[in-house]
Amino acid sequence: MSLDNRLQEPRPGLLSRLSAGETVLGALLLLIILVGLMLVGKGAYMKVKAELSQVLLERAFDARLAGDGHVRPWPWADFDTEARISAPRLGQSAIVLKGASGEALAFGPAWLVNTPQPGDPGTAVIAAHRDTHFRWLKDVRPGDLLEVTRADGAKLTFRAGEGRVAPWDRSGINAQAIGRHLVLATCFPFDATEHGPLRYILSAELIGDTGPDGTIARLSGSDGLTTLAAAAAVKSF
Amino acid sequence: MFLDDLLTERAQRRRASHRMGLVLVALLACIVMVGGLATKSRAETAVPTVAETTSVTEPAGYVRPNDMGTGALLFPSREPGYFVEAPRLSTDVAIDVSGPVIRTRVTQRFLNPSKGWVEGTYVFPLPEDSAVDTLKMQIGERFIAGEIKPREEARQVYEQAKAEGKKAALLEQQRPNIFTNQVANIGPGETIVVQIEYQSATKQSDGLYSLRFPMVVAPRYNPAPVVQTVDIDRASGYAVSDPVPDRDKITPPVLDPKTNAKVNPVTLTVTLGAGFPLGEVKSAFHEVNVETVDPATRRITLKAESVPADKDFELTWRAEAGKSPYAGLFRETVDGKTYLMAFVTPPVGTESPVKPKREIVFVIDNSGSMSGPSIEQARDSLALAISRLSPEDRFNVIRFDDTMTVHFPQLVAATPDNRENAIAFVRSLTAEGGTEMLPALQAALRTQGPVAAGALRQVVFLTDGAIGNEEQLFTEISAHRGDARVFTVGIGSAPNTYFMTKAAEVGRGTFTLIGSESQVAERMGALFQKLEQPAMTDIAATFDGAAAGDITPNPMPDLYRGEPVTLTAELASAAPTGKLQITGRAGDQPWRVEMDIAKASDGSGIAKLWARRKIDDLEASAYALPDPAVLDKKIETVALAHHLVSRVTSLVAVDITPSRPAGAPITSTDVPLNLPAGWDFGKVYGEPGSTGTVPMQKAMALPAPVIEMAEAVASKMQAAPTARAASLLAEQSAEVALPQTATLADRHILMGLMLIAFAIMVGAGYAFLRDDLARYIGANRTGGRA
Repeated sequence: MSLDNRLQEPRPGLLSRLSAGETVLGALLLLIILVGLMLVGKGAYMKVKAELSQVLLERAFDARLAGDGHVRPWPWADFDTEARISAPRLGQSAIVLKGASGEALAFGPAWLVNTPQPGDPGTAVIAAHRDTHFRWLKDVRPGDLLEVTRADGAKLTFRAGEGRVAPWDRSGINAQAIGRHLVLATCFPFDATEHGPLRYILSAELIGDTGPDGTIARLSGSDGLTTLAAAAAVKSF
Repeated sequence: MFLDDLLTERAQRRRASHRMGLVLVALLACIVMVGGLATKSRAETAVPTVAETTSVTEPAGYVRPNDMGTGALLFPSREPGYFVEAPRLSTDVAIDVSGPVIRTRVTQRFLNPSKGWVEGTYVFPLPEDSAVDTLKMQIGERFIAGEIKPREEARQVYEQAKAEGKKAALLEQQRPNIFTNQVANIGPGETIVVQIEYQSATKQSDGLYSLRFPMVVAPRYNPAPVVQTVDIDRASGYAVSDPVPDRDKITPPVLDPKTNAKVNPVTLTVTLGAGFPLGEVKSAFHEVNVETVDPATRRITLKAESVPADKDFELTWRAEAGKSPYAGLFRETVDGKTYLMAFVTPPVGTESPVKPKREIVFVIDNSGSMSGPSIEQARDSLALAISRLSPEDRFNVIRFDDTMTVHFPQLVAATPDNRENAIAFVRSLTAEGGTEMLPALQAALRTQGPVAAGALRQVVFLTDGAIGNEEQLFTEISAHRGDARVFTVGIGSAPNTYFMTKAAEVGRGTFTLIGSESQVAERMGALFQKLEQPAMTDIAATFDGAAAGDITPNPMPDLYRGEPVTLTAELASAAPTGKLQITGRAGDQPWRVEMDIAKASDGSGIAKLWARRKIDDLEASAYALPDPAVLDKKIETVALAHHLVSRVTSLVAVDITPSRPAGAPITSTDVPLNLPAGWDFGKVYGEPGSTGTVPMQKAMALPAPVIEMAEAVASKMQAAPTARAASLLAEQSAEVALPQTATLADRHILMGLMLIAFAIMVGAGYAFLRDDLARYIGANRTGGRA
């Protein structure tokens, strides 16, 4: 605004010295600037909302972990918290919501309800926006550890594998796959500003599971299960 | 003079510094804009890739299980996530109607056209109320028959057999109306015969009886669009090469319906034993031959040369004029228990001639989950509903998210003014906030004042049902419903149908699903008819003199115009006596019917119908049970006892091939196979009378179009060299679709910055040149004057 003030009023009494045409031009430019500011504000609002809401979500999730039942992060929130995901090497963490509606994704990463819970047999899928909560996904390297704390208190550690790119409807992710996998997904390319059909898919394998009481409940790599071709083949409708 | 000079000089210096500043600002704005443009063009380079991939999403000939409108065997295709339909060689449908029970047997023969091993998925859509109980298959030379088992156990048996390389099949219920049958280890070039049997009840409305069989064939083998697969280079993010360069050379043949009829012959026979003298028998969409066996029995066959319409087969029949039965009672004894099925059509005279007065409370959900098309559909539906009210009706509108607004302080007469007012209110709603449904429901059920004498209280609930406290809501409905009926309208592509179906059941109303904008008028129209003309309420059935039986459905739903009361019951003894009483209320008038149980006529399949409805009732009562495992156990018990596929039980196939006599040749092309006793696959081999034996597939010459089609399918299939690998391929095909995970935030910010930069540039440029311009214009003017 200060720039614009300087332009419009380089000397006092500017308005009176402007001709009719110049006033119209000035008003038009002012209008364009206003629209621009609104757009910038809208974009910034999305980002700020995404960051700030995580604070409230964090609080709601802690309450859930403490056993206070389903605490709504804020009274008009339309979703539940489901888990916490963190990438210790990158120092990133976020609260995962249940159900990937556009609404929920604006506030945090979302676990797709048609996939098993992280740590259960099969492939759990968590998706988030590339420009907010999963901005760090491109920096995850194969071998990195990813930690998931479920709402039931289970702490799980996954080891990241290779990332790949696929169209959204041909993800190649089998929710019933053998073993216990976690897939983190976000939009691709990372720096595009448009909606697009491509997704970046990072798969991870479960390496250990600490129960709510702190004991190692089970060690379940996929190897024990793969020998019997066990998983459901065609179940996802 | 000196002073003058000084002043001019100072002014000039000031102007120069101003100019300097303006130049700087303009330069800065330019840099910002160019920077913005560069980023934008970078983003746009990704767009062409986008356009190409989206056009590939529905390649011709590739299908998904949900697309299937008729029975089909699907193989994993080379496009992950998509399937190809196995060439269907022939289909035989035998429908046996005996009174109220319809028994359908579908036999289909498919071909594995590939040179490798595959695991296939047989998909079959069925009417919602059907009970599947039989599965028989022939894969190559092996015969397998399904056995009912608890779902998990069945899956284990199947996986075990699959891993051992055995032929196996597993029939599971995916949704109440979709069944899938996985078939493991289909060898190269083998044919597969699938036979399933299911039972359903005849539909009856206004004296018109009907049955429906799904025959819609999804569009197949259309001319291929340009098929291109994009392979993304991870480093650059751009597509580099097409991994299957010859893909576009695979042009699938286009099958026109006439050829299709020859290639894929469908034979359909209905043995219609209505149980009463038949009047008109009609097939709405297909040409049929009707043969009269006796006054109450007809045999209906599809005309051989007729081209199958791309519509479900629908058969309707009426009783001979004046002989229409208004009541019926059938029974079947299984394992020492008697199963009854009764239907009564309330006499027309009991219907009130004038429309009853109604009191309607509309409740609309405008929470955040409804945003987008959902809220539009909800607004349209509700506006339509309000505009249909007549001035005698009274109504109110409640909207809720995490807050709630009751539009009128109390129920108001539906005068044109009030309707306009309410519609304007509805039109102004936007979707925001959380979903707190309970207060709204309480307001609708409790605070709208007492029901006026003779009036009908109806609560219409429009929501996507995205809630977590279902039990609380069910309890509220059942405790405070009073005489009100609760109708739910599900909005959006994936509403919580569980909640809405159950809420409507508990509230004794109906559930209407509106999936898209185009369905609003039609579906809401059907709902209005029900709302406007309820025929009979408070229906109950009791046994007089007989031991109380287990009656389904429970509670009995209200009846609408022309519908009969239909109920099934289980009685403990094998030869029960006594009377079945059905009572109800039409308007103010009570109504009552008695039927003598001993006089019931025998009908087969009634036990299964009862079991199927019992399972529905159990599912409906789920909210009242503390532990879902208890419910599952109850359903499992009923389903296992009656050999039914359900949510918790599946049919798993066991290899029961008759063993080949020692010394017989192992693979001989012309030795017919012996079918297990009681099996009938003859029709799908096109040789009537060949019951008991089927020829080996290699002995049969396939017609040219089939071979052509088979080649086209084989070229798209992903077949594996071994049976084990086949199951891995099939696994890959089941995959998860990912949501949109990009916001337009960056774009908004970028565009905003560019707009600001543009405005500053123009402004600064103009200010910079203003004096020159003024001087120029001034000079021109003076010049003109001189």
